[in-house]
Amino acid sequence: MNGHPQFDEEFDLYALGALKGEEKQTLESHLRLCAECAAKLQEANGRMALLALAAPPENVPSGVKDRLLRQVRAETPKAQAAAVPSFLRSLTPALAVAALVLLIVAAELKIENRALLQRQTELQADASRLQQEAEREHSVLDLLTASDTVKVTLVSGAAHPVPEGSAFYHPRKGLLFYASSLPALPPDRTYQLWLVPSAGNPISAGVFRVDSLGNGEVLLPKLPPNITAKAFAVTLEPAGGVPQPTGPKVLIGAVS
Amino acid sequence: MLVTTSRGPHSEVTDAVLIRRVMQRDETALATLYDRYARLVYSVAKRVVGESSAAEEVVQDIFYQLWRTAANFDSARGTLAGWLLVSARNRAIDRLRRRHGTNEELPADAVGFSPNLETAAAQNQLMEQVNKFIGELPAAQRTALELAYFEGLTHTEIAQRTGEPLGTIKTRLRSAIESLKKVLRP
Repeated sequence: MNGHPQFDEEFDLYALGALKGEEKQTLESHLRLCAECAAKLQEANGRMALLALAAPPENVPSGVKDRLLRQVRAETPKAQAAAVPSFLRSLTPALAVAALVLLIVAAELKIENRALLQRQTELQADASRLQQEAEREHSVLDLLTASDTVKVTLVSGAAHPVPEGSAFYHPRKGLLFYASSLPALPPDRTYQLWLVPSAGNPISAGVFRVDSLGNGEVLLPKLPPNITAKAFAVTLEPAGGVPQPTGPKVLIGAVS
Repeated sequence: MLVTTSRGPHSEVTDAVLIRRVMQRDETALATLYDRYARLVYSVAKRVVGESSAAEEVVQDIFYQLWRTAANFDSARGTLAGWLLVSARNRAIDRLRRRHGTNEELPADAVGFSPNLETAAAQNQLMEQVNKFIGELPAAQRTALELAYFEGLTHTEIAQRTGEPLGTIKTRLRSAIESLKKVLRP
């Protein structure tokens, strides 16, 4: 069973690489949220992998395997280690002892070096993560402080409680959305945020759930660039989201 | 239907065992996997890029990647053969696109590929079946499918290349895919 039959014909085309533009982005956005459809894509990838076997069989030219194994051995220090005993045998006993001591010291340094390299790799990963976080925070600040960012307040028609949303949108810098006082949802439902462009169909800006206080957010979702927004809206949709709004509008706000 | 072949009598060590040995830096295990699959990888790469030297580089890159990242290989996400076939095709198409000035890489998702291709006989049998399937497609569907698969063209690019309307190309690709699904249905 597939809960999202609208994508049934798209998985194989995506696996082929034949989808482009909005079709591709819509499917990718959905795949990030829907494990069931990700499994369908995995099956499609398997079907498409079969097509590789239609390539005319060709024998690999000789030499490729040797080059590969040379490349592999270049990172394996076995060859140097194996050469050590004969090198030691050619020395006088005193020199051999001295050389042996040096070798032991070198081996210890090598172990220490390996540990340092490992630590360096971990630190690089930490630095990369921190840089990504800093870049994201910078993007948020940049969007919030840009003079031409529009702020849209989304409100519900109901009087009490008063759900509210704020969208900060810049066509090139992105979108931030914060909601408050929204009712909690059953597990099979989700809130979905929509950018309503000045022309064309609404574009999904992602799905979100709310905490116990009814607060939710969507930060810097992947959107096509340079879209002029006419309005933003939040609808109530099946879990995983939908390509086009189907459920009731919970919040709506026009760009002034 | 296409059949999933069982292990042949000449198969010795399974891919899973060889991958574990590669993780322990056993070069002979890598060499065995190379002997088992290099022909498939090279054939796909050559079909896509056309040139022997570029296809050879794809083969070397993919097996070197296997050497470096065997620990990341997750058999729950598909067989080694599936991963190698998809990697060969994607990497070769990435080269083509770079050559044409476009850099968009194909996604590297999990591959639900179950046929056991650990023997040359199994590989030959499945190649024969896939070629029979492709050969029985209407010519226009076959062309669209081959342009998408082996040249990495999108709907729009195939329409431009063939001079056919975009809708027609989409229909042809979908029909070809439906035929493949029918063939694979148990």
